[in-house]
Amino acid sequence: MGEHAPLREAKLRALRERANRLLDEYANAGEALADKVRAAARQIPGLRCARPEQEALDLHQPPPDTDLSRISIIAADGSQINPNRHAPVAYYLINAGAICLFPGEAPQEWVRSQLHYGDDLYPGGTLISEGAVALQRDVAERTALLALVEGAPHQGIITLTDGPLELWGAKGRDESGSFRQALQRYLAALRGLHRCGAVTAGYVDKPRADLVLRLLELAAAPEGDLRAAVREGAFLGITDWALFAHRLGPGERSAVFGLQSQSEQEYTGPLGLHFFYLNVGRAGKPYLARVEIPRWVAQDAVQLGRLHAVLVYQARLLGERAYPYLLHRAHEVAVVRREEQEQLTNMIVLELLRQGVPVEGASHKQAVKDTAR
Amino acid sequence: MNRPIQSTGNTRIEIGRLLRAGMTGFVAGCRVSQVNAPSFGALVRAPLGAENEVFGLIYDIRIEDDGLVKQLVTAERVDEAVIADSRLNRNVPIEMSVLAVGYRRAGRVYHLLPPRPPLSLDALTLCSAADLRAFTARRRFGYLRFILQSREAPAGELLAAHLQQAAAAQDDPAAWREAAVREIITLLRDDYAALMSVLSALAEV
Repeated sequence: MGEHAPLREAKLRALRERANRLLDEYANAGEALADKVRAAARQIPGLRCARPEQEALDLHQPPPDTDLSRISIIAADGSQINPNRHAPVAYYLINAGAICLFPGEAPQEWVRSQLHYGDDLYPGGTLISEGAVALQRDVAERTALLALVEGAPHQGIITLTDGPLELWGAKGRDESGSFRQALQRYLAALRGLHRCGAVTAGYVDKPRADLVLRLLELAAAPEGDLRAAVREGAFLGITDWALFAHRLGPGERSAVFGLQSQSEQEYTGPLGLHFFYLNVGRAGKPYLARVEIPRWVAQDAVQLGRLHAVLVYQARLLGERAYPYLLHRAHEVAVVRREEQEQLTNMIVLELLRQGVPVEGASHKQAVKDTAR
Repeated sequence: MNRPIQSTGNTRIEIGRLLRAGMTGFVAGCRVSQVNAPSFGALVRAPLGAENEVFGLIYDIRIEDDGLVKQLVTAERVDEAVIADSRLNRNVPIEMSVLAVGYRRAGRVYHLLPPRPPLSLDALTLCSAADLRAFTARRRFGYLRFILQSREAPAGELLAAHLQQAAAAQDDPAAWREAAVREIITLLRDDYAALMSVLSALAEV
């Protein structure tokens, strides 16, 4: 490994240099490139890449001067207890937590838990998968944000979640249509946030995506051979970090790109998925986040600027390890710790016994593990 | 948790709840919003069942950190909202260590170790001036030996703080303080170094 590392690094360096040259070359060719992406999407149904919008590809935009003390922010996160066949009782739990920061007030925590047991565990006749539980958690985060925004006596609230805005989950093997159902609820929550005039964003820390690189692959490819360009993947091994870490100064964001993906069929109109890169690091020590936003935010320069300023400020609150403070706090509120999980399991067992319902008990494997701890 | 508890005509201020306890002392936790009530050297009480109670002196107040607090202090500035959030919402208790100095059973105060420790989550309340007078009635100072024998508590500083607070509760503070100091000198007559250290602290009172 050590022997090959310098060779590999030299290869990656060459890729990074080539990618940056291409970005410079196509910086102001956004419109033509967007057409090319659309043409490629017609040829390649699963195409996933960045799509230029209004701004130059090499844009590096500092945050606007904004009075942050007048902005309301709500951050939400979720956690779950997955069903465990080794546990004494079968159940799963979705926990949604949030923290609200309204002007002139101390932050307020909010948490809701949903316990699922019995028939809930077997959608379609088989034990619910961890992916499906995660999907429910993502929906719970978004619906929590909507409920909080609807109940808040403030306008223009900025709502944040950790991770992509695009709903991920068991898309491929949709268990009894659960992904479709979850997606519809998720999209309804997004539409609700739009209706309320809220800003919403998904914050991806340390992104590993290559969406802009995939765009550059297409940019360099001949018109008639787009499919081959995508298949070959000229920049495999590097990520968009290589394009933006040195271009974006501290606090600066990249251009806003559209997200070309299959999800476009679902995230339509104002919900259309967009993203930008944001350098939350310091001078000489860049650190990137990818921020996913819907079209209604991407196309509103004022709201986009407020979001940009809020994210930079929030991330700097955590000092060296820049990450939005309120997102971290939302995680703290939502997370279910191991001791809490054990406590909940014991409470359920006791209640079942009190009701005269027999309890299977933990598997021998789990019991031995617990003894050894 | 921070509400005053009315009892026998005195307002009792709950300052925290027991985290862990032993025969010679106990540790209580409180929220940041409660921290203004307790002070170093204060006489506090915790229940021993329904009728009895154990008395102790606060000898340490520790504000614990956690990963987030350590991270926040590296930032260029700490936002007011972050400070408010940390103090109001975050579950980082302040720990108070208490040295057991006596107990009350059937209305009588004993300057002895309690028959058993108080239990987890028992409420710790601050003693009033009347409680202080009752605990130190008739100029009995037997409990001072617990302070002088303690390995954890800073004896001189704790005595100084306690004497200052207890004397203020007496009808004749000067006479009470003088009697207490005489008792301390008697207790430490064979340990010149400790006596000098304690007297040095008491000189500040």
